[in-house]
Amino acid sequence: MKRRKFLGLGLMAVAAMPATLSAISSIDFRATKPDAWKAKTVDDAIKALYGEIKAEESGVTVKAPKVASNGGAVPVTIKSDIAAKTVAVFQNMDPESAVAVFNVPEGGIVDYFLKIKLKATDENGGNGVITVIVEGRDGKFYKGTMALQVAKGGCEG
Amino acid sequence: MANMKIKAKARGDVVGVKVLAKHDMLTYDQAKAKGKKANFITHITAKVGDKIVYDVSTSQFWSKNPQFKFKFKKDGFKDGDKISITWTDLSGKTVTEDKKIKGL
Repeated sequence: MKRRKFLGLGLMAVAAMPATLSAISSIDFRATKPDAWKAKTVDDAIKALYGEIKAEESGVTVKAPKVASNGGAVPVTIKSDIAAKTVAVFQNMDPESAVAVFNVPEGGIVDYFLKIKLKATDENGGNGVITVIVEGRDGKFYKGTMALQVAKGGCEG
Repeated sequence: MANMKIKAKARGDVVGVKVLAKHDMLTYDQAKAKGKKANFITHITAKVGDKIVYDVSTSQFWSKNPQFKFKFKKDGFKDGDKISITWTDLSGKTVTEDKKIKGL
């Protein structure tokens, strides 16, 4: 934890140096955290991406239909007012859990919409959950979830 | 415009961007069933000038022809600025398209 804070401070200092708003660089989380994309459970994926973390369940809104008729394109909206460093999206319906990891520019707005493919929930016990983790610039983690049912799976092609 | 449909518009202090990318987003399971090779977008970056405004690593579970939206603050951008969106897929293909931001 201390080390993370130290690194975070270092990064902030570097980011604060240029006078103008400078470009942050792109981060390819598939290259830097390959195991996060292979993980079969949300917990394992979170662990592979962030390590052992405790996320506070507040400040993150996840919106999706309670019952999605078409699993091929389930609309998901993610919002948070937390000054975020990264935002990660997971679900427990598909073979692997990770859906997206956003690298949020400094001062960036967390208001994302995307459409995702989900398997029908009756294929895995009926409890579909989308989990979003926000890594704050304060070094803390925040979590939001949305439970849903998917009537027709979208992964069968 | 063959690969992406982009709409970018400033409203108040914020620019809203809507994108529809044309891509099969073939998952490993779907590819197996069809006897094809899996291929899906793995990364999307959007820039205005040299400033990154959206940067996401993606998985096979984004929908076919993925649609996505995002917002960013319009500070520092001016009339005529363009948003440039680049995606890369598993096969290594990279596509970049740009669009003028309306209302700046």
